[in-house]
Amino acid sequence: MAPVSTLPGFPAELDLLIGFIIGIGFGFALEQAGFSSSRKLAGMFYGYDTTVIKVFFTAAIVALVGSQFLSYFGILNLNNVFVNEYYVGAAIVGGIIMGAGFIMGGYCPGTGLSALSIGKIDALCYFFGGLTGAFLFAETYPMIEELANGSYRGPVKVNEVLGVSPGLFTFILIAAAIVMFWLAELAEKRFARPDISSEL
Amino acid sequence: MAPMKNKYMNPYLAGTLLGLVLLLAMVLSGRGLGASGGIKYCVVSIVGALDRGHADKSAYYSKYFENGQKPLRNWLPIEVLGILAGGFISGAVSKRLKFKIEKAPGISRARRLVFAFIGGLFFVYGAQLARGCTSGAALSGMAVLSLAGFVTMIAIFGSAYVFAWFFRKNWI
Amino acid sequence: MNARKTISILLLLLGAMLAMLPLSARYTLRGPVIVLRQSLDSHSYFTADQVARMLVAEDSSLQLIDLRPASEYAMFNIPGSVNMPYQDFFKKDPAPYLSQSDKVVFYSNGDTDANYALVLATGLGYHNTHVMKGGMNAWFESVMNSEFSGHKISARENALFETRMRARKLCNEINSLPDSLKMQYMAANRFDPKKLDGGCE
Repeated sequence: MAPVSTLPGFPAELDLLIGFIIGIGFGFALEQAGFSSSRKLAGMFYGYDTTVIKVFFTAAIVALVGSQFLSYFGILNLNNVFVNEYYVGAAIVGGIIMGAGFIMGGYCPGTGLSALSIGKIDALCYFFGGLTGAFLFAETYPMIEELANGSYRGPVKVNEVLGVSPGLFTFILIAAAIVMFWLAELAEKRFARPDISSEL
Repeated sequence: MAPMKNKYMNPYLAGTLLGLVLLLAMVLSGRGLGASGGIKYCVVSIVGALDRGHADKSAYYSKYFENGQKPLRNWLPIEVLGILAGGFISGAVSKRLKFKIEKAPGISRARRLVFAFIGGLFFVYGAQLARGCTSGAALSGMAVLSLAGFVTMIAIFGSAYVFAWFFRKNWI
Repeated sequence: MNARKTISILLLLLGAMLAMLPLSARYTLRGPVIVLRQSLDSHSYFTADQVARMLVAEDSSLQLIDLRPASEYAMFNIPGSVNMPYQDFFKKDPAPYLSQSDKVVFYSNGDTDANYALVLATGLGYHNTHVMKGGMNAWFESVMNSEFSGHKISARENALFETRMRARKLCNEINSLPDSLKMQYMAANRFDPKKLDGGCE
């Protein structure tokens, strides 16, 4: 049963090759969506381009729905798929810092890399900033260690917290996402900036 | 709708494609996507190469060199290479390959580059703290219904919206 | 119809299906004949003495599952057992508990819960599960509180007595540990999901 990499006798090198191929798909999809453009990404926060939320939620939901069906038919063992562990303080504070970084730099690491791959110099600076940020974190780790490792809650799932089945939560999430898609279309009309959009 | 050159893929189709890539990662490797982690492994590898003594003494770095491991020999940094390759292929196919500094007309190129650097610094620092970036924590986290994923996503987007007003001159 | 509407409708339909499906097709019970056969097979049942013998011999293929509530488990349990309260049989996925050993033995206070658990496990497709007949009551009767009476003892009785004594000693040792050590011992026996590789760290 999938995940394939958990099958007995699966060579570790093959998992690395899979990572490379997945990465190609990832970078390709990001660039095709237009996320290699920082102005397009930033548009999400000023209203003139809401591609981010459309792509983001569609992708998360497609993977969510797909994995649940595969699990139902016994093809994918969801117990062997990594679930992000919840460290309360770290998730919130880290997220806030990332939000600031996003609006300043105009990229997230994934989109920044796809932009770098097509020649964006600002993405190159972003990348170097990223290396510096990781270096800073590593060097100052003892200072932030307590926050980083505090309030550990384990790999908690949202539907467990709400007490509903994963399927039901998925349906609710889909409904919420569709509402967001429609609101995004309205926002694009309201906050349209054709001068920027024509350049993207 | 604002007249847009129809060169990018429809966002819903692109989202579906991205979702299928993520699903493939879950089925093949039992994990979601990631990017900031790959950057971390690069830094660890560089530090190890330049000052091995420092790396061995530090509690943070040393765990990546245990048992003679090589930090770059991990799923994430290899996937990052793939991202670069995939983006390049897409750019080549859609004729978007071009060296340029993308910026709003109202600011200087230097200012854009400085902010790009600082933004990258903040973002990856925050990603290390939150154990994931928008792809690794938010996107992949949502796909497995992880609470951490949802919380991180809300924190990122909420924070970006709050800070957006202060940095508006950089973009609009 | 544009992409947004198509994808939205498609996802809504799929989502509605997921909301109505049970957790997994795996959770449907199969093969009533198989279940009947298993429940009639004497090999599905161990006596308390047989379990004691496996315990004393440190049989590593043995996995005891204590179906009683957590509070009772904490007060006294057979060393090496894992707690899976019967009420919560499906609260967490039972697969990790049932699939990791050749000899899974359920026990409860009496027979009822253990027998039901055997039926459920067999119905889910596991053929490695057994019941300790008489449950904890039988364990106390034969292992913990039994005494030898009479003047002469046959070799066989001697072996049985010895096994019971050693199992009793082991039980008492583990169960009389101070609470903190006992917690640690029980925690070591819990099935924690194995550390998965992943995330963006």
